[in-house]
Amino acid sequence: MAYLVAFHWGWLAGAFAIGLAMGWVAVVHRAPGVSGWLTWLLAALAAGLVAATAACIVPGRAGYWLELLLILFVPYLLGCAIGTWLRALVVTRSMRQRSAA
Amino acid sequence: MRGLFRWSGKWWPGVIPLIVLWGFAAWTSTVPLENDLAGRSSAALKGAVLDKTSIAVDGRDVSLRADAFSEAGRRDAVSAVDAVAGVRLVNDQTRLVPEAKPFVWSAERDVVRVTLAGSAPLPALKGRLMEATRAALPGVEVADQMGLARGAPPRFEDAALLLIGQIGKLKDGRFTISDGDVTLTGMARELGGREALAAALGKLPDGFKVANNEVKAPPYIFQAYKDPVAVTVTLAGNVPDENIHAVVVGSSSRKFFNEKVVDNLKNSVGAPTNFVNAVVPALGALSRLSTGTLVVSDRDIKISGDALYDAAAAQIRTGLAKEVPQGWQVKAEITVKPAAAPVDPTVCQQLFTNVLGKAKIRFETGRSDLDRDSTGLLDRMVEIAFRCPAANVEIIGHTDGEGDAAANQVLSQKRAQAVVDYLTRAGLPADRFSAIGYGSTQPVASNDTGDGRAQNRRIEFVVR
Repeated sequence: MAYLVAFHWGWLAGAFAIGLAMGWVAVVHRAPGVSGWLTWLLAALAAGLVAATAACIVPGRAGYWLELLLILFVPYLLGCAIGTWLRALVVTRSMRQRSAA
Repeated sequence: MRGLFRWSGKWWPGVIPLIVLWGFAAWTSTVPLENDLAGRSSAALKGAVLDKTSIAVDGRDVSLRADAFSEAGRRDAVSAVDAVAGVRLVNDQTRLVPEAKPFVWSAERDVVRVTLAGSAPLPALKGRLMEATRAALPGVEVADQMGLARGAPPRFEDAALLLIGQIGKLKDGRFTISDGDVTLTGMARELGGREALAAALGKLPDGFKVANNEVKAPPYIFQAYKDPVAVTVTLAGNVPDENIHAVVVGSSSRKFFNEKVVDNLKNSVGAPTNFVNAVVPALGALSRLSTGTLVVSDRDIKISGDALYDAAAAQIRTGLAKEVPQGWQVKAEITVKPAAAPVDPTVCQQLFTNVLGKAKIRFETGRSDLDRDSTGLLDRMVEIAFRCPAANVEIIGHTDGEGDAAANQVLSQKRAQAVVDYLTRAGLPADRFSAIGYGSTQPVASNDTGDGRAQNRRIEFVVR
């Protein structure tokens, strides 16, 4: 894992940036959210893929690409979380200021 | 936190650029990653003793194909690759180098090169053997046709290096090690090469033995040429050692009483057995020829030339083959010298005296058997006797003063008779010759000295 991080740090940083941006936008975005049952479906899919990677079921390049996808998701999700949290912070503060005014 | 969970439902649009990013990442990083892993896997195997190593990387999975020389070496190689950072799985396609049974290795020398073939137990040893061969034969091309195999006998390296050290002694041929058996074939570079090889191979390590030494040496040549014009006998070629050299030259000086012996012999090992027992009779035969050549090549004796009379030619043709030791071949091409013109009895007497002035007819000590060294001299006497068919000749024996007078008289008589018998066997009429023994009654020198006694022991030819 350390090797993958070291080898792909640029791509990981990119994923983090996308996540950060997405998280920033998500707070004020008007698009429909993912419905409850779909969330569970996606979570199950993600768990399945993680399990498959951990068990090294997918061979060769395909296995590597799957690993790459999963490892890119980590900074993406982290970026989303941080972005959302920061934006939420900003939005909350501005709403307080507005209500105070 | 609940807000974060709520908003996370809206994160999905970012997945689209993420997938695009992933596509680019996969597109650009796969080959560099594979190359990086291949390079570091090879580096990890640098110290391992393997043959035919090939590393194929597919994603982060490494397929390792290699021949190992032991089970432990095989396991170590796999775990070394497995320990390389970034490698996910090792697809183990290693196997043990096949075991050779019997374990055969050979070094073959021909005109232009040395070829090492068969099996070597380790790649490093293969290199050492090649290097040793180049060092042993500088400037000679060395070809490597060795494969690798397990199952070499213990101390194989020592044995192989010993053989490589000896390959310079071969002109062409092959050394083979098959398990513990060493086989040698081919042609040695020099006389005695076969023996030198056998001696060197005495130092083979325990567990190895020479199963078959079929190395042949160049023919062992000895030559003698009797030249009646220069009045010389030239000896050339090889003799086994200083002692036999002295025996051959000494024997030649006695047999060729009239000729100067020119000694061009050199001492070389590798003579066939019984060399001296074959060469001395052959020189005896040559001494009976007026002109002739003797060539001894290994165990083949070839003698050619002119005998002095018919019976001598026949005796040489049949007699020499019986005199040489078993296993030796004789090829005699003897012609007969044309008879010389007849002469007066007085000239005959002069010729007899001349020849006997150069050498004496010798007998075995205390007996009446003619010494073989005197055969050449006797043939000269026969030749002269043929030239004066009208002359009657007295053959007179004398002894020295040692011993009983009556016994000396009998001995001198018998010795004279032995000479007459020789003449008769040569085809001369018996009635022309009479044997007389005077014992020690007519000394020509003092019997007090060894030299004088030697002069007194004599045979005289007197024409009546």
